[in-house]
Amino acid sequence: MIIQFFLTGLLLGVALLVAAQNATPRLMRAGILAVLAAGAFFVWAPETTNAIAHVLGVGRGADLILYLWVVITLALMLLLYLKLTRMARRITQLTRAIALMQASAPDADR
Amino acid sequence: MPTRQPVSFGTGEPWNAGLWVVVPAFNEASVIGDVVRSVRDRCPNVVVVDDGSDDTTEAEALAAGAAVVRHVINLGQGAALQTGIEYALRRGAACIATFDADGQHHADDLVRMVAALRSQDVDVVLGSRFLGRSENMPPGRRLMLHAAVVLTRLTAGVKLTDAHNGLRVMTAATARRLRIVQDQMAHASELVSQIGRLGLRVAEVPVTVSYTRYSIHKGQRLTNSVRILTDLVVGWLLR
Repeated sequence: MIIQFFLTGLLLGVALLVAAQNATPRLMRAGILAVLAAGAFFVWAPETTNAIAHVLGVGRGADLILYLWVVITLALMLLLYLKLTRMARRITQLTRAIALMQASAPDADR
Repeated sequence: MPTRQPVSFGTGEPWNAGLWVVVPAFNEASVIGDVVRSVRDRCPNVVVVDDGSDDTTEAEALAAGAAVVRHVINLGQGAALQTGIEYALRRGAACIATFDADGQHHADDLVRMVAALRSQDVDVVLGSRFLGRSENMPPGRRLMLHAAVVLTRLTAGVKLTDAHNGLRVMTAATARRLRIVQDQMAHASELVSQIGRLGLRVAEVPVTVSYTRYSIHKGQRLTNSVRILTDLVVGWLLR
């Protein structure tokens, strides 16, 4: 019982944080909130994960959650890596602009 | 001792008219002065891109007579090349060469490459150590480079004998069309695939690459090829 209240509180906290992210696209926010709501549902009705797992051919609901967790984590890591690369490219453009700005003007050097 | 007289190709102007040589450098203070001087014996327009070195690379390059453009932070060789190319274009370059800072290349090869660019009516001339000579190349390096050649032939559809040679010469028009976004070492493969995609006319010219203990230490290790492949996949995803 204690763990269920704890997890629900945690999910609620995350939901509030997500809802407040104005910069994130509305559709994305709605999607994340739906996943969080599903999570809260499974916290209070864990047997349903077993039923879904059986339909998909997985032995236990807990295993299904684990597999999904791994897949989602890997996808998030890839997205983060792409985002980092994009950011690095912007830093490159900035650094290049500074370098070219500070270069001695044509005909002024030598 | 090769001649220091400018060679002319019958057009009335010296062979190096409008040529700019781009030298990307990161912590090369011990060799950059000699490299710049050897290039300036052949071509006066040299720009060293100091890629955020924390040694005296910039001062050495300036003292040797190069123009210096400095990245305030280290970005990688690909980024440095693109910066140097943009600088050369701003200075009104008619053709642009890329040249390694570690002393592996020979300035004399530039003369033949520019000659090939002008006489063979191509967009870009690439140096090939496998058509030419390589001195003291470690066997592991040779294997890695051959693998890279096969890979670029499969992915870019461009048939080359040496896909990752830092010695290149291109026309200004070509330099404007190419755009290096791979900041690190994947830029070499990126350039070849852009050459393939844009349908540029390429010629390979035999050049000599001299491996020294210094250049081998500064060069690419096998583990880096994994990084290069990752960068290429990410670049493809972001295209």
